[in-house]
Amino acid sequence: MYVERFAAMGTRFELHLFGNADPAVARAARRAIERADDALTIHRPSPVTALNDCLLAGRPCQVDDPLLLDALVEIEAAQGLALGLFDPAADVARPGAGWGAVVFDRQAARVAASLPLAFDFGGFGKGFALDRAGDVLRDAGVASAFLCAGESSIAVIGAHPLGGGWPITIPHPLDPERTLVEFELRDEALSISSTVGAGTDAPERSPMLRPSDGSQVTAARTTVAIDRSGARGEVMSTALLVATDAQAECLLDPAQGRRFRFNFSPEPVMPAHAYEVVLQ
Amino acid sequence: MTDKDFDLTRRAFLDHVLIATAGAGMSAAAPWAASAAAAEPLQRDRVRLGVIGTGDRGRTLIRNILKTRNCAVAAVCDTFEPHLAKGRALVAAGTPAFADHRAMLDAGGLDAVVIATPLDSHAPLALDAFGAGLHVWCEKAMARTIADCSAMVKQSQDSRKVLQIGHQRMFHPTYLAALKRVKAGEIGPVTQIRASWHRNTSWRRPIPPGSTDRKINWRLYRDASAGLMTELATHQLQIGSWFLDAAPTRVIGSGSICFWKDGREVYDHVALVYEYSDGRKFVYTSLLNNARYGCEEQIQGSKGTIEPELGRIYPEVPPKVLALQRMQEDVKRGHKRTIPIGGATWFPELPVTTPGELLGWGEYDETMLQFEGFGEAVRSGKPLPGMLAQAYQASVASLLGEQAMDRGEAMTWPGDLVRV
Repeated sequence: MYVERFAAMGTRFELHLFGNADPAVARAARRAIERADDALTIHRPSPVTALNDCLLAGRPCQVDDPLLLDALVEIEAAQGLALGLFDPAADVARPGAGWGAVVFDRQAARVAASLPLAFDFGGFGKGFALDRAGDVLRDAGVASAFLCAGESSIAVIGAHPLGGGWPITIPHPLDPERTLVEFELRDEALSISSTVGAGTDAPERSPMLRPSDGSQVTAARTTVAIDRSGARGEVMSTALLVATDAQAECLLDPAQGRRFRFNFSPEPVMPAHAYEVVLQ
Repeated sequence: MTDKDFDLTRRAFLDHVLIATAGAGMSAAAPWAASAAAAEPLQRDRVRLGVIGTGDRGRTLIRNILKTRNCAVAAVCDTFEPHLAKGRALVAAGTPAFADHRAMLDAGGLDAVVIATPLDSHAPLALDAFGAGLHVWCEKAMARTIADCSAMVKQSQDSRKVLQIGHQRMFHPTYLAALKRVKAGEIGPVTQIRASWHRNTSWRRPIPPGSTDRKINWRLYRDASAGLMTELATHQLQIGSWFLDAAPTRVIGSGSICFWKDGREVYDHVALVYEYSDGRKFVYTSLLNNARYGCEEQIQGSKGTIEPELGRIYPEVPPKVLALQRMQEDVKRGHKRTIPIGGATWFPELPVTTPGELLGWGEYDETMLQFEGFGEAVRSGKPLPGMLAQAYQASVASLLGEQAMDRGEAMTWPGDLVRV
């Protein structure tokens, strides 16, 4: 058993490796996360800030960083799946800015935009980084591991060290004594997004915006998305949070039971859908 | 300690310096230390030093000079007889002693002078020594005014004589190890250094018979000293510019006589912010009525913090996630329980209390090494590379900080400094 614990992407990471855990493998996974951080951060000079500088100046940009290119490919692929509700280029200060204004030529690794805009990958980066770390661990033969990015993004590798899936519970964000939902994970990632609960009122936290009109989501909600891909899980939990009721119907996919939306607003305009529960 | 023991200690110390200065970026960052430690000073033909000022600090310097392999105290000088007597007692019998520095210079037989006198006398003494064809080692800060600092640098250049200023941390293996780890990127880009020198003392010394308050407590009076800025801060300002690898661009500050209202003229409380390029900052406080936080430089990067006085490095490791800690314990005792996910992701914003990791090399004798380096510089006629530029910058920064506090306005870095 070995634990690698460190700060990256503005949150705390823990990589728990079970069995004959090799610290060097854990450190390699950590470096994969730090490389993703270096590629996607907007808080210091990075490939993303270089890209943003170009796009804000109205110039197209060649993307040389392979991690940034991978991230753009994943975001493009997720657009249809998420009904366009996850948009790293949306900005309340720039009306019209968004993925719809982006021209991404994957083959040529070239990005242009029809109006000035900038990318902020936000929580997507955590899932993306967990995916890279998971690849490193699997390639090294790790059979059982639990990866955590903050306490809202996790990924598990293989089975629980005592056998079976990893049993996960999501506490009620307004009442920690109650459970919101429980399930088991195996070789999956999980992302939680919320407008309520600890930390959501922090002044440094960006508001959750609807890409369509830049409006802020004020409804009291928590969403959960489980996916093989951590990056896609982040996209889906965000999309579920900003979705209208009709959009949420399309995203929830009750047959799979891997996406959840919980409404805590007492208003009658917030009806419960399949896998959508009103809790007061 | 026997000579053999001293040789072993000295060799180990020099090895630490050489190890600390080896590696990428270090030859440019601390060339003076590497060249001082790499030299093999001879015991014969020692450089002859005349020490001007044999008060407490001057006598400490004499003790260190006597440990070197290449320097000797060839004369001592002090205007105050009791201090001169104490200095004379440390050196070989028959060592010439003078009450007037002019007489010492005129007597000849010296290669260099060591100046450990009140700050306002540094520049005139140094200029006299250069005029007499001697090299100069001078305590920090360099001089009472920026103009005098510049004059000292200019005169050393014009006379082609070595001018070395006493910043012993530049030879300190722990500081060199800290810089090496910064250069290696271990704490990420350094964006802020918080430094302090806090004491709980009046800083006022008793006046011995035959002297005066102004002579003994010169640090408390403006004609002779800028107080905390030149006597303490200058050390740490040198560390700031060294680790930020630049001179400040601007300084703002506030100073006051806040606690010791005893007739002193210099501030007993100072707080300053030195701005560097790219928004980087050196935040400084010094005061004389609380010693809780003592003397320290906290060198802060996105991945960690180094505190050289404590000799420790603190990685930015966040606190454990309690739910995952419980998961570990459950697995160890064969108990499978659900893992709660979805709590707060924000760091508790409390000071870190983890012990950090030792930088190593707690024992040091850097004052001795800086004199051995000076001895080699005098012998070769070539100053230790990079050293004077660092010292000049630190002295200018301390005096510019004083101006910012006196005027209550931001002071920009002077554009007319002598090129070193």
